[in-house]
Amino acid sequence: MDSFSYYSQTVLNGILAGCIYALFAMGLTLIYGVLNFVNFAHGELIMWGAYFLFLFMGEPFGLPLYFAILPALLLTGCLGLAMEYSVFRPIRKANRLTLLIAAMGISVFLRNAAQFFWGAEVRTYGLEVMPGTRFIGLYLTMQQFAIIGVTILCVAGVYLLFFKSRLGKSMRALSDNLDLARISGIDTKRAILAAWVISAVLAGIGGILMALDTNLNPEMGVVNLIKAFAATLIGGVGNLWGALIGGLLIGLAENIGVLFISPGYKDGIAFVIMVLILLARPYVILGERSD
Amino acid sequence: MKKLFALLAVFAMIAVLTVPIARAAETVKIGAAFALSGSIAVYGEGFKKCVDLAVEEINAKGGIKGKKIEIVYEDNKSNPKDCVTAVRKLITVDKVPVMFGPAGSSNFMAVAPVAQENKVVLLSAQGAAVGLTKAGDYIFRVFPSDTLQGPYLAKLAMSMGYKKVPVMYVNNDWGLGLKDAFVDAYKKMGGAVTDIIAYDEKKTDYRTELLRASKGNPPAIVNLTYINEGAVQFKQAFEMGIKTQWLCGSAAKAPKMVELAGKAAEGVMGTYPSVSQNTKQYQAFKEAYKKKYGDDKIPIFGDYNYDMVFITAKAIEKGGYTADGIRKALPVVAKGFKGVTGDKTFDAERSPKFAEYGIWIVKDGKIEDYKK
Repeated sequence: MDSFSYYSQTVLNGILAGCIYALFAMGLTLIYGVLNFVNFAHGELIMWGAYFLFLFMGEPFGLPLYFAILPALLLTGCLGLAMEYSVFRPIRKANRLTLLIAAMGISVFLRNAAQFFWGAEVRTYGLEVMPGTRFIGLYLTMQQFAIIGVTILCVAGVYLLFFKSRLGKSMRALSDNLDLARISGIDTKRAILAAWVISAVLAGIGGILMALDTNLNPEMGVVNLIKAFAATLIGGVGNLWGALIGGLLIGLAENIGVLFISPGYKDGIAFVIMVLILLARPYVILGERSD
Repeated sequence: MKKLFALLAVFAMIAVLTVPIARAAETVKIGAAFALSGSIAVYGEGFKKCVDLAVEEINAKGGIKGKKIEIVYEDNKSNPKDCVTAVRKLITVDKVPVMFGPAGSSNFMAVAPVAQENKVVLLSAQGAAVGLTKAGDYIFRVFPSDTLQGPYLAKLAMSMGYKKVPVMYVNNDWGLGLKDAFVDAYKKMGGAVTDIIAYDEKKTDYRTELLRASKGNPPAIVNLTYINEGAVQFKQAFEMGIKTQWLCGSAAKAPKMVELAGKAAEGVMGTYPSVSQNTKQYQAFKEAYKKKYGDDKIPIFGDYNYDMVFITAKAIEKGGYTADGIRKALPVVAKGFKGVTGDKTFDAERSPKFAEYGIWIVKDGKIEDYKK
C-alpha cells in the first residue's frame, strides 16, 4: 500500500465513522431542539433498531434484508413514540434533572430487555464477508458505500423537512418557544410526535448501518452515544448542521489521530476536541443556536 | 430504654439460634464466588459441576480427616461489583478461611485485595492475566499465567520465520500482561517489534488501527484480542484487503469468533494452554464426569476447577483449617502433584510453574490443532 492510499484510506475511515456519529447526533439534537432535554435513551433506539432488523431477518419472519428494513424502522419509530407516551409526556413539565434521570432509567430498562430477549452475546446478520472493491486506491465495501449514501440522503431529507415543510416549521417554532408556539395555534402535539418518530428512525438507520458493517450487541448504542454527545456539543446543541459537522470532525480526528499517537487514546481525542471547543467558545462552528 | 432492651433480646435470640447450628455443622466449609447468573453464567455452571464432582469423590473417601467438605456457593452475577459483595459475604458471614474466586481476570482482580486484607486464601482456576496474584501471598491460581504463554507465542512467530512483527493488544490487564511477556521474549530471541498498538474493548470500528498495523505490508501481525473484538478486526482487515498471518493468544480461540468473522477468520492462528488428555488422571476424571452427569463434554476450565478442589483439600489436611495453615501448606502439597491438568507445582508468584501450550488455527470454518 503506497502512502497516498494509506492516508486517503484513513480519511475514508474517518468519514465512515463520522457519518455514523452524525446520524446518531442528528436524532439526539432534534429531540433536544424540540423538547429541550438530552435523551440518554437514544443509544437504545440505535440498538433496538438494529435488533428489530435482526428479528425480521430471523425466524419466524425470515425476510430478506431489503424487505426487513422497513418494518424494522417502523417498529423503531413506534418505540420512540412509546417512550414519549409512557414516560416523557407525563413528566413534560418536570425539571430537567427529572427528565434526565427518567431517560437514563429507560436506557437501562431497554438494554436489559434486549439482553433478556437476545442474550448478551454478540450477533450478526449473517451476511457473507466480502472484500472491499478497489476504488482509486481505496477499499470500500457495499455496506460502507451504503453508510455514506444513506447519510447524505438522511441529511437532505431532514433538511427538506425542517426548512421546506409546514411540519418542520412548526417544529422549529416549538424549539424556539413551546408556549408561544402553542398559543399561536401550532399543533404542538403533532410536532412533538413527529420529532420522536424522526429521531427514532434516524437512530434506527444509524444502528442498522453500523450493525451491517460490524455486528450487534446490547451495548452498541451506549458505547457510541458518547461520541454522538460530543458531536452534538461541538456543533451546537439543537443545531442539525452542527450535528453533521461535529460527527464528521470527531470521526476524522479520531482516525487521523490513531496514525500518530497510541490508539489506546482514541476516545480521548474526541473529548479533548470537545473540551477545547467548549472552552474556546460554545457553538463555535456554526455560530449561534436557535434559542 | 425499651428499644434497647428489644434490641438486646433480638441479639440474644440470634446468638441462641446460631450457636448450636454452627456447632452441629462438623463440615469443612470452602467458599465459592461463582458466576451463577449474568453474562458468563454459562461458564459458572460448568465450574460448579466439576467442583461438585471433586467434592463428592473426596467425601466418599472419608473427607478431610473424617470431616466432609461443604462448598458455600455465592452468585457473583458476572460483574466486579457483585463479586466483591459475594466475597465479603463469604468472609464475614460464612467465615471461610479459603475461597474459590470468580472467573474473568478483572472480576478476580477486584476481589483479590479484599481477600488479602482479610487474610483469607483465594484461588483462581481460570485467570490468565499476568498480575492476577499480585495482591499478596494469600492469592493463588492453578491456571498458567500468560508470562508463560508470551514466550510460547514468540517461539511460534520465530519458528514460522517472522522476525519483525507489529503487535496489537486489547488495552486491559490481560492484554497488557500478555503483550509485555511476548515482547520481552520475542526481543530476546532476536525478533523486532515494529509497532505497538493498544486498542479499547467493545469498539465497532478498528479500521485505522488495522491500517496502521499493516503499514509496510508485514507478513504477520500479532493481535492479542478477544472473541468479539477479534471478529470485527479480522472482518475489517479482510474488507480493506490486508493480507497477513494473524497470530493471537488464547482468548480469541472460540467457535463464536469464527461464526462472527466468517471467512475473514480463515487461517488465523494462536496459542492456548493445552491439557494432555492421554494421562490416566484425565481419563479417570472424564470417566467420573460421564458417570455423574451423563455426558463427556467437559466444561471449559472444568478440569482446572477439579484440580483446585483436590489441592485445597490436601492443603487443609496438612495445614489445618485456618487461612494461614492453608496458605503455608498449598505450595508444599502442590509440589509435584500430578493433577488432571498436569504438574501443579507453584512458582514464587503462586502460579503454576509448568504449563503446556498448543497451537490453534482456523481451517474451513473450524478451530483445529495446528500441525507443522
